Amino acid sequence: MFLLLYLRRELRRRLRQTVVIALGLAVGIGLVVTITAATAGVRNAQAAVLHALYGIGTDITITMEPPPPPKPGSPQASDFGLTPGAKDQQLDLLGLPPGLGLLDEASVASVARLRGVTAAAGGLSLVDQKLTVPSAASLGPGGKPPASAFPTTSTVDGVDLTHPHLGPFASAQVGSGRSLTATDAGSNVAAVDSSYAATKGLTVGSTIIIGYTKFSVVGIVRQPRGGGSSDIYIPLARAQALAKFKGLANLNDKVDTIYVAAANASTIDAVQKEIATLLPSATVTSSASLANAVTGSLAGAASLANQLGRWLAIVALIAAFAVASLLTVAAVARRVREFGTLKALGWRSSRVVAQVMSESIVTGILGAVAGVAMAFGGVSVINTLAPTLSATVAQNPGSAPPQNVSLNDSGMHRQVAQGATHTVAVHMTAPVTVTAIVLAIILAIAGGLIAGSFGGWRAARLRPVEALGRVE
Amino acid sequence: MYTLTGVTKNYRKRRETIEALRGVDLDIADGEWLVVQGRTGGGKSTLLQILGGLDRPTRGTVTFDGRDLTSLPESTVTRVRAASIGFMFQAFNLIPTLTAAENVEAALVPLGVKVEQRRAQVAGALDSVGLGDRARHLPSELSGGQQQRVGIARALVKQPKVLLADEPTGNLDEDTRDEIISLLERLWREQHLTLVLVTHDTAIVERAPRVAEIRNGCLSIRQDTGTQPS
Ligand SMILES: Nc1ncnc2c1ncn2[C@@H]1O[C@H](COP(=O)(O)OP(=O)(O)OP(=O)(O)O)[C@@H](O)[C@H]1O
Ligand SMILES: [Mg+2]
Repeated sequence: MFLLLYLRRELRRRLRQTVVIALGLAVGIGLVVTITAATAGVRNAQAAVLHALYGIGTDITITMEPPPPPKPGSPQASDFGLTPGAKDQQLDLLGLPPGLGLLDEASVASVARLRGVTAAAGGLSLVDQKLTVPSAASLGPGGKPPASAFPTTSTVDGVDLTHPHLGPFASAQVGSGRSLTATDAGSNVAAVDSSYAATKGLTVGSTIIIGYTKFSVVGIVRQPRGGGSSDIYIPLARAQALAKFKGLANLNDKVDTIYVAAANASTIDAVQKEIATLLPSATVTSSASLANAVTGSLAGAASLANQLGRWLAIVALIAAFAVASLLTVAAVARRVREFGTLKALGWRSSRVVAQVMSESIVTGILGAVAGVAMAFGGVSVINTLAPTLSATVAQNPGSAPPQNVSLNDSGMHRQVAQGATHTVAVHMTAPVTVTAIVLAIILAIAGGLIAGSFGGWRAARLRPVEALGRVE
Repeated sequence: MYTLTGVTKNYRKRRETIEALRGVDLDIADGEWLVVQGRTGGGKSTLLQILGGLDRPTRGTVTFDGRDLTSLPESTVTRVRAASIGFMFQAFNLIPTLTAAENVEAALVPLGVKVEQRRAQVAGALDSVGLGDRARHLPSELSGGQQQRVGIARALVKQPKVLLADEPTGNLDEDTRDEIISLLERLWREQHLTLVLVTHDTAIVERAPRVAEIRNGCLSIRQDTGTQPS
């Protein structure tokens, strides 16, 4: 085909111009793909954080605002009625984590029956504090307790073993021993997080004490990304039986979180609304709304990628297309005589336009290839240079400020402490997807088409006489 | 071949109107060799463009081979040009990125000639202008005379009815000029062409059977020996 021959000759013999236009497009496309990949990387990092917090497979969590915390210093709230006695007192207190209220376990079943819900599981998180109330004699002259008097805290997660694929325990991987199974539901067995096990010197077969009750460690587990894991996982029913709360002997039939899996991503919004109707006072959180609650460098990276990145990509693309179009029009202007001659030889305008267009499109394809190469380069730079991003999420998004326990000279106070949060560190990797590459190629060809249309329009308007009058 | 009646061409430049041709009446017979001469700005190129269907007159009719070019749609004029009208230019107007053979081939592209036949015709045309061995050369690798010979091959490869040449020797030295004119004369005889040649060159004018002169857009026949191609 003569068109292809002519095309090849033009691109080869006007190599510098071809390269300049292709590189212009390539830079624009390379930026778009790199930024797309970086944005996807940040999104993946966010997903990793959310999975670390609530487990893979959980689309929605339901929590409850706790009853308003008693004002610090008011008599019934200020202490446990414990005053230093003649001897040291060992205490093993089980409490609810700061900021979480209680839900009826019956709600789990009601939620599971909602349309668009594939499964729902309850969870009960406990905080186990072991502390020593020192004897009056051991208190220093200023009434300050010795350092050993400060409580040691472990977090305990009651796991609904009938739904092993929901909740934070679902993403735990067994390092040694075994996982908890449905047959463990009534036993005093525990799976222990590997880093907690390491600091406490625990192995499979060790015994731990939670709320004055012995549990035997059957497995050491690890969460895929550090951060949101609990120290100890035990069967939900055991956790409910152990815990006391506000005068209740136990928390039977209570949970503090319901983990919900939706049938598919598109139904999450609808399910979220249904749950809100069913449990009007509950806090219903989806990964999307949780993502908004993420703060820290990850959130910064996300908003940077979303805002600056998108603008940068658009500007780069427009600039690349404009440069390519201008260069193409200029190239056509330089070839006025050539095209006029072809028209004098009897070439139709459409054939001349097709020639200009196909030159541009091929240049665009070359730009796409170079752009994809640049994108891979840019992405590998991001992946090697990218800092580890950290994300901070309130333990119970949307809850009242969490509470903590501390000791002072007059005994133990429940005191409101700000910032009971999870900080999760993730390494960002920007993936180049097939979609991004296809996008790049489409963009480049579009760029070539746009540039070619300008050039072709110029060539079509050309009257052959214009070409002939000019003698250089 | 051609009958022009009352051909007028006005160019509008801002408020001014330039009358490049004023009521030209002209008959050009089949196989005629017509030289058009005249001072610069007289309207010679304008006349050639109108003969070639590259431009339309403001008034008047141009009948080519029995058809009125002024009333045909653009696409038909383009087809007539592709099939029947060859052009030669003062600046040769070869496509710089194409070889000599490919430049000649470009004239056959709009006719939809099959590739093998196209190659054969191109080789024949280059042979007939004595450039069979330069087929793969780029224009920049050829002398001015050789480039214009490629121009002749390109104009004649499709075996047109007429050849319109606008100062084809204007960019060449004297020896080369004679060479080109001799070649044109030979081909004119061999191929029974109708040749319209714009030139200032007195040597050519002397050899021409019929000479027209344009002054200020008005055409008059200055010399007509009545010689027909033998
Ligand atoms: N496209 C155009 N727009 C406006 N005026 C034009 C145009 N083309 C030609 N003219 C004018 O028409 C007149 C005739 O021009 P033309 O090119 O036909 O002259 P010519 O005889 O070929 O001259 P030369 O010997 O210098 O080539 C000139 O005055 C020229 O300025
Ligand atoms: Mg002229």
